[in-house]
Amino acid sequence: MRMDWQALTLSLQLAAVTLIVLLPGGLWLARWLAHTSFAGKAWIEALVVLPLVLPPTVLGYYLLVSLGGASPIGRWAAEHLDLRLTFNFHSLVLASVIFNIPFIVQPVQRAFEAIPRTLAEAAAVSGLSAWQTFWRVELPLAWPGVLGAMVLTFVHTLGEFGVVLMVGGSIPGETKTIAIAIYDRVQAFDLQSADRMALLLLLLSLGAVAASFFASARMAVRR
Amino acid sequence: MTQPAPDRALVVEIEQTLPMPLRGGFRCDAGELLALVGPSGAGKTSMLRVLAGLMRPARALVQVAGEIWCDSAAGVFLSPQRRHVGLVFQNYALMPHLDAVHNVALALLHLPRPERLRRARQWLDHVQLSPQEQSRGPAGLSGGQQQRVAVARALAREPRLLLLDEPFSAVDQMSRRGLYRLLADLRRELAIPIVLVTHDLQEARLLADRLVVMDAGQVLQQGSPHAIHRAPRNARVADLVGIQNRFRGRWVGPAAEPGHGLLRWLSDDDDTDLDTLPLLTVRDKGKLPPGQPVSWVIPGDGIRLLDHPPAGQGGAGELAVQVSDTRFLGEITLVTLALPSLPGVALRLTLAGPQPRALEIGAQLGVRLDLGLVHVMPLRH
Repeated sequence: MRMDWQALTLSLQLAAVTLIVLLPGGLWLARWLAHTSFAGKAWIEALVVLPLVLPPTVLGYYLLVSLGGASPIGRWAAEHLDLRLTFNFHSLVLASVIFNIPFIVQPVQRAFEAIPRTLAEAAAVSGLSAWQTFWRVELPLAWPGVLGAMVLTFVHTLGEFGVVLMVGGSIPGETKTIAIAIYDRVQAFDLQSADRMALLLLLLSLGAVAASFFASARMAVRR
Repeated sequence: MTQPAPDRALVVEIEQTLPMPLRGGFRCDAGELLALVGPSGAGKTSMLRVLAGLMRPARALVQVAGEIWCDSAAGVFLSPQRRHVGLVFQNYALMPHLDAVHNVALALLHLPRPERLRRARQWLDHVQLSPQEQSRGPAGLSGGQQQRVAVARALAREPRLLLLDEPFSAVDQMSRRGLYRLLADLRRELAIPIVLVTHDLQEARLLADRLVVMDAGQVLQQGSPHAIHRAPRNARVADLVGIQNRFRGRWVGPAAEPGHGLLRWLSDDDDTDLDTLPLLTVRDKGKLPPGQPVSWVIPGDGIRLLDHPPAGQGGAGELAVQVSDTRFLGEITLVTLALPSLPGVALRLTLAGPQPRALEIGAQLGVRLDLGLVHVMPLRH
């Protein structure tokens, strides 16, 4: 019986990096979708939600096909950047970021939509620049939603399986995440190890989500 | 009130058809309070948004204190941040995550933090919010207190123009009194143009130096409340400012007396011009052709109630009336009088103070109209 600490560390790293990469763009996209309306908006919103409804293996398959060494993008990256876009940590991050777009954008968009427009107008009339309005008014008010989305994304990345397996394979220390390690152990009939790792992942996820709910509730009370 | 300072006045001229029609212009001198009045959907709030820079009209000129805020011809449009404008929103638009002090401090971000908070507290003291109330969030404050925070935030901008959107709509009577006083004080202290939007005509008349009457996005008339009530530009304005006694008539032509003309009073639903109908001698500017259908008004203070029906008919403005309805409402009495000579026409009077006469329904009395106060408007089709 053993705990695959390497896989756990890799998963935590992947979740953290995914979050850091995804957050700025996700916030921007969510705010933009919340504040603008135009003819093709439904299509963009559908595109945002797509990773949520698509089987992870389908998404992983398309990523593999479009980023692999034989694909134009893959070839270009290999020639010009000396970078392989599949079967390494970078590719996991890229896949994770795409896979998690709806987890950030959807809740954050709802949070921004819930802020009355007059508050931003009042801020502008009070002399606040767009940037100051974002930092001092919009982000604090949307914060419970943003925090929830961040926790959701982090936990979701920890437990990622299908996409990661498709794009990254199962290279120990490089692309073998905790979820893949659990699958490996089950395949090897090492149920005790699988048990421990699965329980750890369960508790970690539960704890994180519960903590975010606690925080949101406290913020709501304070208001 | 301070003397009007024309150099610090607000001058507006707007012309737009899309996305919504908005047309007209007005001027508000420093220290003056201007009320934009009209039914909901008249474009009052849009007008305010244009002044604040929250809406960019197709064609407009907005000038405040000699500074051009918007000049579409020259391509000038200052953002709200660059206008020194204080705007009190209808629902106050206070930041729910900040206490009163920090809400006001938001308008003072150009100052270092300690100075910012000190000044914010000063402004809140100024609008008479206690220190305990100052540290509460909007949710912990009453409507009237929230409004005062919003006013303090607007003042902290050191505005050259103060805008208030329906300031009386959501506050109770007590806060309302406080707000009247606050507005009066501000007008004296600030000596800047103040524009408020309201649909409450009583309030507009009570507070404003100048009324701008709007309907369907158009400025119909502007002037002192008194002048507008005495001489509404047309029937729509008369209705919008709540003139009760508006009647129909036909312009007969010049009277024997110079500067005067003859007006035939017609019933509301019958155009037949009969010799038996009252003929009134009223002031005439010589603009109306004989036979022109008109609408005319007379203010309440131009109608005197007489104890007995008059002997004659019409010319001197004395008419026989019959009391058709009376309502006693505490300090005032609303009286409706029917005119036997004009079926269907009713005169409405508001009598103040204790009632000296017994105004029984059916009583035969008389009225004397002050014909010098009659204002005649051509009827448009």
